[in-house]
Parts: sequence; C-alpha cells; structure tokens
Amino acid sequence: MRSFLTAILVAFTALTAAAQDKSAARNVSFAGDIRPVFEKSCWNCHAGSNQLGGLNLATREDALKGGAHGTVLMPGDAAKSRLYKLVAGEEKLRMPLGGQLTATEIESIRLWIDQGAAWDSGPVSQSKATSQGPVTEPPLSPHARDYWAFQLPVRPPVPQSSEKNPIDAFIRSRLDAMGIKPAPQADKVTLLRRAYLDLIGMPPTPAEASEFLNDSSPDAWEKLIDRLLASPHYGERWGRYWLDVARYADSNGFEHDFDRPNAWRYRDYVIRSFNEDKPWSDFLREQIAGDELPHVTYDSIIATGFLRSYAKVGFREKDNPEFRYEYLDDMIATIGRGVLGLTVQCARCHDHKFDPIRQEDYYRLQASLWGAVEVDTPLVPKQQAEAWTRENAAVDARVAALKGQLKALEKPYRDRILPAKYAKFPQNIQEAIATPEAKRTPGQALLAGQVIRTVSVSEAEIDRIISPADKQERKRILDLIAAEEKQRPAPIPQAMAMTDGDYRFTPDGPGDEPAPGKGKKQEQVEGSYLHTGDGPYVPPPSYFKIRGDVNSKGHLTQPGFIKVITYGNPATVLTPPTPDTSGRRLALAEWLVSRDNPLTARVIVNRIWHHHFGRGIVATLDNFGKNGEAPVNQQLLEWLAVEFMDRGWSVKQMHRLIMTSETYKMASEFPDAATLASNMAKDPENRFDWRRRVERLDAEAIRDSILAVSGSLNPEIGGRPVFPVLPPEVLKQVSTGIWSQKEEGPEVWRRSVYIYRKRTLPFPFLDAFDLPNQNLSCGARNITTVPTQALTLMNDSFVQRQSEIFGKRLVTEAPGDKGKQIRLAYRIALSREPSAREFELAQDFLATRTLADFTSVIFNLNEFLYTR
Amino acid sequence: MQYFRSRRDFLFQSCGGISGLALAWLLDQDRLLAGTCDSNSAISGPLAPRKPHFKPRATRVISLFMSGGVSHVDTFDPKPSLAKYAGTPLTGKGDIIVRQGNPGPLMPSPFRFSKYGQSGLDVSEIFPNIGSKADEIALLRSVYGQSNDHVQAHYELSTGMIRMGYPSLGSWVTYGLGSENQNLPGFVVIYDAHGGPFGGPVNWSAGFMPAAYQGTVFRASDVPIVDLKPPASVTPEEQRSRLDLLMKLNEMDAAKYPGNTELAARISSYELAYRMQACAPEAVDISSESQAVKKLYGLDDAKTEPFGRQCLMARRLVERGVRFVQLYHGGLGIQNVDTWDAHENVEDNHRRHGYEVDRPIAGLLTDLKQSGLLDSTLVIWHCEFGRMPISQRGLGRDHNPGAMSMWMAGAGIEGGQVIGSSDEFGYKAQEQPIPVHDVHATILYLLGMDHTKLTYRFNGRDMRLTDVYGNLIPQIARAGERKTA
Repeated sequence: MRSFLTAILVAFTALTAAAQDKSAARNVSFAGDIRPVFEKSCWNCHAGSNQLGGLNLATREDALKGGAHGTVLMPGDAAKSRLYKLVAGEEKLRMPLGGQLTATEIESIRLWIDQGAAWDSGPVSQSKATSQGPVTEPPLSPHARDYWAFQLPVRPPVPQSSEKNPIDAFIRSRLDAMGIKPAPQADKVTLLRRAYLDLIGMPPTPAEASEFLNDSSPDAWEKLIDRLLASPHYGERWGRYWLDVARYADSNGFEHDFDRPNAWRYRDYVIRSFNEDKPWSDFLREQIAGDELPHVTYDSIIATGFLRSYAKVGFREKDNPEFRYEYLDDMIATIGRGVLGLTVQCARCHDHKFDPIRQEDYYRLQASLWGAVEVDTPLVPKQQAEAWTRENAAVDARVAALKGQLKALEKPYRDRILPAKYAKFPQNIQEAIATPEAKRTPGQALLAGQVIRTVSVSEAEIDRIISPADKQERKRILDLIAAEEKQRPAPIPQAMAMTDGDYRFTPDGPGDEPAPGKGKKQEQVEGSYLHTGDGPYVPPPSYFKIRGDVNSKGHLTQPGFIKVITYGNPATVLTPPTPDTSGRRLALAEWLVSRDNPLTARVIVNRIWHHHFGRGIVATLDNFGKNGEAPVNQQLLEWLAVEFMDRGWSVKQMHRLIMTSETYKMASEFPDAATLASNMAKDPENRFDWRRRVERLDAEAIRDSILAVSGSLNPEIGGRPVFPVLPPEVLKQVSTGIWSQKEEGPEVWRRSVYIYRKRTLPFPFLDAFDLPNQNLSCGARNITTVPTQALTLMNDSFVQRQSEIFGKRLVTEAPGDKGKQIRLAYRIALSREPSAREFELAQDFLATRTLADFTSVIFNLNEFLYTR
Repeated sequence: MQYFRSRRDFLFQSCGGISGLALAWLLDQDRLLAGTCDSNSAISGPLAPRKPHFKPRATRVISLFMSGGVSHVDTFDPKPSLAKYAGTPLTGKGDIIVRQGNPGPLMPSPFRFSKYGQSGLDVSEIFPNIGSKADEIALLRSVYGQSNDHVQAHYELSTGMIRMGYPSLGSWVTYGLGSENQNLPGFVVIYDAHGGPFGGPVNWSAGFMPAAYQGTVFRASDVPIVDLKPPASVTPEEQRSRLDLLMKLNEMDAAKYPGNTELAARISSYELAYRMQACAPEAVDISSESQAVKKLYGLDDAKTEPFGRQCLMARRLVERGVRFVQLYHGGLGIQNVDTWDAHENVEDNHRRHGYEVDRPIAGLLTDLKQSGLLDSTLVIWHCEFGRMPISQRGLGRDHNPGAMSMWMAGAGIEGGQVIGSSDEFGYKAQEQPIPVHDVHATILYLLGMDHTKLTYRFNGRDMRLTDVYGNLIPQIARAGERKTA
C-alpha cells in the first residue's frame, strides 16, 4: 500500500552535505531562524502541557533550567550544549525523535547558541503546543446523518400480531404483506440438532437427545436452550466467531512467524467471557481499555490482547516507526469493522469515498490509540512479580559477570583464531584487513568493517586450541553459569497485553532484529518505555499524515472519534485510575459502548442473527456503511438493538429471544410444492426468512462433530494450543515459527478452537472448509463447495482414523449385532433411527464392507454436515 | 444455474487426455464411457469457466518464481561500471540501504556476459540456454519492489501487498477466468524439492476470497495432492463402494429438498473429487513422455532433474487446461544455499542455481513453442527482488528491491526487447520504473482482463489485485490488438 522503504530512504537525504558554513558567521535571530524550528520540531514535546524529559523550551528561562537529565543550553558554547549535540546527532537520542533537522537548521542552532542564545521574541503560546488542530476542518454536512445507520436506533412499535415473540411479529407481518407463507415448524429431532449445532457446534449424544425428545413438558425447548447456554462448550463455539473478528492467531506471521506463547490466554478469555455472558459493553471495554478500568483484573489485562492480535513483522517498532502505522491501522480497521461495522481504515489516506468519515476522524482514532505499546504483564500479585523480576535480574547480573570472566579468558584464543578466519575471505578482504585502519581506502574500510564486525569465533573453535589449564578454568566458569541459571525463579504466567507507553523506547524483545536497511539495532537509550516516576503519563505526540504518507507530517492530532456517529459531547480523554496511562482508550471504549453510539449494539445483534440464521439482517456484517447491504428488516434490527441494550447487553438473552421465536423454529423443507413455488417467485433467496436455510457446518464444527461422534473428543476446556499431526509435505511448506506436533491421540483430539493458529500455515483440514484468513478481521465466513473438501472427508487420515474408532465404539456398545450397530450409528451421528431403506442399504453394504467403511460414509453424509 | 443431476451425467466427462484404460481400474465396466475431454458446458460453481473482459492474448500462465532474489547485475542486466569502479563505495545515491550489516564497496560480476539471438540480448554465462531463447523473451530491467525483506517482497509479487491476507495473483486469475478443466484444480503450485518458498502458503492463499481459488500444491508423485487418495488401508474397491453408498444416501436426502442447489453441488463435488483422483496423477505422470522430451527438460542430469520435472509437470498441467501454474525454484532448506539468497558468495550460489534452472526453463520454452502452446500461454520468470551492486563481505550480494530483472514470454509478446533500465550500477530502476502493480495489471491484461474491473467485493469494498494503482506496461501490452470478446 505504501512503501516502507521510501519512508526509510527519504529520511536520510537531509544531512549528507552538512555544509560547514563557518566562514560566514552570520547573525542568527531567534525570531527569524530559531523560533520556526522550535515551533515545528521541539515545542510539541517540550512546551505547554507536554514537557517530556522534564524539559520545557517555552522561554529562555525555562530552557536554561534544563530537564531531568541536566542542563541543555550553555549560552556562548554550542559544543557544550546538549540541545545542540542532540539535534546534531552528536549525542543520543537524536532529536527531534523520529526525524531530524536540516543541516541549515542545525547550523543555525549552533550559531545561535554560540552567539549567546538571545531570545528576542515571546514564548510559545499555550494554544500552540496543546491543541494544534487542523487548519480547517469543515463542519459536518447537514446531510451527513441522512442515513439510517448513522442515526441512533429507536425502539419501533411491534407490529400488531398474534405472535407472542416480537421477532415473529416483525418477520411475519412483513411476510404477510408480501404474500409469503412461512414454513411450518420443524420436527423435534431437527430442532434438537439445530440447537446443539448452533449453540455448541456438536451434535447431541443419544442420552442428551432422549432427554429432550422424551420431555413432553411445554417448556422442554426453553430448558434445552438453557442447558446448552450453560454448557462450557457454548463459549468455544461462539467465542470462535469473535476470534475471527479479532484476527486472533498464535504466531506473529511474516518471515519469522514467531510463536506468541501467551496468545492463548486471550482466546480463553473470549471463551470465558461468552460462557459468563459478560455484558457486551464490558467485553468491549476490557478489550479496548482493560488496563485503564477502575477495576483492573487479570482478565481485563488479558483482554487487551485484542488490540495486539495484528500480524507483526519481527522488528522492534523503535527501529521501524513505519510499521507502527500499519499496526495502528490494523487496530483501527478491526475496531471499525468488528465493533462499528464501518470501513474506517478507508479514511487513512483521504476522506472515505462513500461514507462521511473524514481523514481527520481516522487520525483522531489513531491518536486515541497512539500511546498503546506491547507489554507482557505478569499475572501474579505485584509483589510476587517484582520478586520474580528482581531474582531474574540478580541471576542476570551474576551471569554477566561470569561471562565477562569467560570473555577475558577466551580473548587470547579468539585473537589467535580470527586471522585464520579472515584468511578464508577473498584477497580483497584480506588486503583490506591487513591495511592499517588509517590507510584503508574508503572501499577497503567498508570491506574490512563488514567482516570484522560479523566474524565470530565459536566455542568449538576455541576448544580445539585451548590450554588444559584454561580449559579447566573455562569449565569451572561454565559450570558456575549453569548453576546460576538453575537459580532462576520458575516462570510466571504472563498476559500478552497492551498498555500506554512510549514506543520510541521499545526494549529488546525475543526475536527482535535490526530493521531492514538499518544495519544494526538502535542502541538502548535513556527514556522510559512504560510510565515511571512522578506526574501523569503523557503520550508521545501523534500527527496527521497527509495522504496517509507516514513521512508527510501534518498537524498534531488529538484523540477523538468519528464525528458523524458521535452524539453529544463525549469526553475524548477520561481520568484513568492510575497516572500510568492516558485515559484515551478508556474514553474510546466508553464512546463505543455508549447508548449514544448508533452502531455498536446494531452490529453485534446482527452478528448474532447471522450465526443463527446464516444471513445477517444486514448481510455485510462488517459494513453498515452506504456500500454495505441495506437491512432486509430494519425495524427488526432496531428493535433488537434497543432490546439488547435494555437487557444489559446480554448475548445469552438474545440467543434465548431468537431461539424461542417461531421464525427460528421453522423447517427448511417445505411440504406444499405450490406454496413453495409461489414463495420462491417472491423471494428466491429467502432474504425475508420464510424458511430455515440449509447451512453447511463450518470448519471447526465439522472436525468437532466427527470427534464427538467417534467418541474420541477430549472435552477439556482452555489451555495452551495443541498441534495435531501434519503430513511432512505440508510442514515442508514453511520453515519458521513452531509446529511441535504430537502423536494423534486424546492430547490433540481437542476442540478445533484449541488448534495452534499459525499465521503462515492455516491448519489444512480446517482450511479446506473455509477457515477464514487469520490475518484480517473477518465477520462472515465464506462457504464453498469444492472437490478438495470431498477428498479431505473421504481420504484424510484423521477421518479414516476416527471412522475406525467410531466403528470400534459401535462394536463395544452393541456387540455382535450388525443391525443394532447400524441403528446405534444413526442414533449417535444423526440423532434418529434409520429408515427401512437406509437400514437395508447399510446391511447390504456391511455384508462385504467393514464398520469403518460404513462410519466413514456417515461422516460424509450431507445430513451430518449440514444444519437444517 | 445448472448442476449435475446424477452421477451418470458426470461420468460422461472424463479428465482431459486420460485414456480409457487409466480409468478402468476405477470404474465399473458398465460405467465406463469413452469421454470427450475437458467439456465444461454444464459446469457451474466457483471454478466454472468465465469470459474475460476482452479477447485474451493468453489463456493460461506458468510463473517461474526464483525464490531468494536473483542478482540482476549477474544475469540479465550487465553493468560495466561495476568493474570500472570496483572496490570503491557506491556514492551519490543517498544512504545505501542493505538488509544485513553495513554496505560494502562496488563489486563486479564474476560472470561473463554474451550477446544472444538476433536481438543481441546480453545474458550472463550462467544462462546459456535461456540466452538462446533471447528472441522469445521480453526483458524488464526496471521492476522495483517495496520491501527488502524476503517474505514481504514475496507477498508483494504474489499478492500485490506486502501485508498478509490478500489473494494471490493465481487466485485472482482463477477467480476471473475459472478453470478450463474441472477435473484438476485451476491453480496449481509446485514448490522446490527443498521446501516451500519464503512466506509459505500465504503466497498462494486466496486471502478473503473463497478457498476454491487458492493454489493447490502438487507434488511429483503418484499422489500429487494431499488427501488425493485414501489411506493405504483402504482399497480402491472399498472406496468405490463407500462412494456408491454415500451417493445413494445423499440422493435420498436431497430428494427432501427439491431445488436445493447447495446439496446438489455437494453431491456433485464427490464425483468431481473421484475423477480428480484419476486425473491428477495422470496429469503429472511424466513416464509417458519421450526420452527426447525428458532430455529437453534436463531430466538426464541429476542437477537439472528436479526443476526439469517441475517444468515438465507445468507443461502437462497447462496442456490439460489448468489456468495458473506457479513453480518455485529455491526452497527453505538452508536459506543461503537452497535459495538464490546469495549473501555469502554470488558466484557459487548463482552458478549452481543457474545451472539447475537453465536447461529446464529453455526446454519448457522450446516445448511450448513446438506444441503451439506458447501462443496462448504466458510464461513469467521473476524473483522477489534484485541484489546489490555492492559486495557483502567480499563475495556476496545483499537484497535490493530498487531494481530487479524479470522476463515474460509467450502470449504473443514481442520477444527480444528490453524494457526499462536500472541506473549505471543497477542500484535503482532508472528509465521507465515499473512497480509490481504494473506487472500485475499487465498480466491480467494479457489474460483479457481489465485490472480495474476485476474486483471482488469484500466488506463492502470492491477489492482489486492492484489496489488503487497499476498501469499497463505499453511494450508488453501493445503486441496484440485488443478486441472485444
């Protein structure tokens, strides 16, 4: 989309010809030469409310005071003034952070200081530093809100009807008006399977089936729904849909595809939240600002993993400020699509083409998220975490000292070995190295530098020439190091979380490496990644990007929201409970879940509707904008959205409400051909829900149902991801990251939501059945029917193995009688008895074939693979 | 919409080019019908053939992806200045951006270049056979990419985006045109025997499109696709009887849902799958090829045999109507050794890999030309980025997305031409810089598609392979007259 490389390239052109214009000792004026530089490059962080590093450059008096790290301005002596040294790059960290002054500007500052640092114009005005808004942001067009989704939902009156459930009143009054006759209620077995597959993603066991089928009480259906909603498997099914939206995965993606060892805690958090029926508003609050809530819990910390679930290149953001914009874009896109049903990310480079979302809106949201940085937060009491850090640091220090000794011991040997290693390089390199440093040509200097910096001596090489005495000494030190390592405290659980901080001081993390083109990592610099010390945290400044180009810095941005859907005057910053965060994400979360937000409730009730009926009231789940599909029954959507909020944002209550409707209980078959033809003529796609859709199970439900039916499902809830066996030819496609596969067996026969989600290698069995791309937020999955799915179900060794296990289960549970085994297979897999014809066919088949052949056929039946 | 209504409808069609005998082991005699091949008239669904926007110059593509990054200055873009200024720093180009360590001085090519063909194209000594095809190929010397990271650069060439999650070129083509042979996947990937390329299956992912459009990996064995055949414990007879029972039961079930196209499509997919079991192995079974053909592809030499086999498989696949065949040379065994990623020693690396692909690629072009397939087949040769004109530790070269060489052949493209140039050192594209989006736009054009009109609606937005960019490369596009289909 935009070039990272150009970003890197243009940043460097400035200083190459730093003209040493000392001859013309021109007079520099503060007003003419310095103030514009301060205004552009210094005062955003060092004046007004932002005084990073305790440094205020607003007036000469303030500047002379210096900052937390001492004096910065020595009038008359630029060479000793840190202000000069920092902008000239003579001292780290080069200022301004993330950019640099032109050679002329740097020279002006040098001259200005040397000439006494006169300050002949007024200080920075307060407004300049704190609220540098866009030059002109035109007011919202009076027609911007002339679109249903941008207006607040209002509970519509329920149409007059004999229906008890308002959903039916809305649906049926519409069908009546169109002259469409709804399908009759489905039979009990169909309803039973529909409820199980919908809510927990697996068919009922024969015992569970009997419980419902033999229950003739009037509320048997309601009791069934309650049982299923209380099942811990419910969260595994419905949490998975949200994990699609959250683009959750267990690895980073890209070249290294590093493992994310704690990502699964977020997956479990989502499952847990669904099982607890956590109010949707709280669920969102925790995911956007779980670290800023009045009551921070382990779960609310883990929840912020939502923001962090973007695919990530394995470079530190400090070395790659360009990538940071991509990650922020991913967060904005995910919140936009996932929570608001808006394609906000389209406004990154220009105003949105279809919806009244301005580029300013995008950068306001970006500013709201700007402080967020990645952090691994210990999930133990603070004291314990501190003790853990302390003990680890102590071990680190002792190991470092020992390694120092080791290095000194080994140095003479390394010095002896290196020349021999250099000798293996081509002639030109050897010559370059042999030439004394001062005499090397520029090309030789480059060559020598490349090799000297990168050639190392291995332990094995030292071993070959080390003296016995030194060898013994070395072993002694190594033993001590090993002993120290054993002193390390046991690892503590950690959440893969986000909180506010300063990305410019990102510390080294595992797997970090220098960014392309940067050669080596930036060195650790003073500055604090997470907020420490006195006073409130101040987020680093963020800027509007002209045409979305990360190098075209516009005005300073302030946190805020999308104007067209912002009602009233909600706070864009809230006071967080601790001074360690900005309260910007907290304000964003509150705006999202406010009753004055027109979209959040509509979007989630529509998702729930989609997953029950196979089609949303708005078919484009992630786009309620003008380019999305219009709602087929807007009144119903409005009513559901308001009802949802009135019922405390309870997702489970929406399931109950929907599933107890006659609309939900309709059959997919239509008994009367003439009416069917008439309905088809009026609404061929069944958009108005006059019958149940026949829907193929999604990927996870197919695999889970096979495991449940064969009897080999390991129903354990949560925990670290599992790695089922992959054929070598599949594993060969990728070489980075992890896939630590286990033998096929109960350990990996877990529900599919627990299979390791590797960004560079979607799990093939699930992939065949339209597992969504795990790198982009996805609401509605594709459903395709292609031959490779048939090949997978007929031939995959997993299915074959489970067919055999199912066959053995039949023998165990109905020994010796093929007829009983056939009937049992139908009861277990399809919750019904076989028809006479089916029974006959099965018997004929089993005359020459095995039970595993038969059960393999069962797993391929459309009746098994579809809800109806 | 039409769907196959019965098994018998299906069996009237057998796979392209398959002999009756090859099917006999699969099918009962009474079902075996001498089929006309590759008829798609009654097919619907995601892979049904679709009309292009205008008359295409080619109907299929073979893409030869040299994974790891081929040094353009050592293959197709000679730079005398490198010898002239050898050992001096590269200056006047701003900061030199390398992937690893620090920049070295300029390094001349270790290879000799010669002029080939009537066009007098300069090609390095590592590609004598490809050089002999100089008059067939249009060479692009000014393609540039956005990233000097292998994986992101792979994704850019594969999908147009350096971010993960977007559909690959092969997916777009298959989505746009469908497949000519329903008995084989429309988009086939054959990767190097050492392993997959940088970035793995994301390179042939369908992104946000249905999985039907993603690349299917083929191997050079009698079970070319994972799960093509049942486990060894299941005999073909057992499988056939399973399928028979399944079909009976599914048809009884479908009868309850008259007019339900989805259930009918699922039933039909089993027959398609069943035929694919016979057609796919046949498609890549090269045993029936003559010794002369095998030799042409270099199968007589252990070093050229692996990629020669890939190229020969590619020809057999496009011959049978596969829309897009993606070959990779260079796979992730040992990165600097098994791919073109010549950080250590460009001479060793490129001499070895050049040898491995030179005869197979030239053989492919010869074979396609002889059989007339080259007229309707686009062959693209490319990598993910070029390499640096400066040395890395004396003998190697680092990544350089600023300029790379790429060529196209077939599809009525005017051969022997050189398009664009890189600067005197090969550090950056100079004349007519060509971004990857332009390459993609031009490939779609050759296939009869307007890249601004080939859209897939995702999340309410009409997504394109070329995003909001892309211009045709005029020298490639001009060769054929554009006629409305």
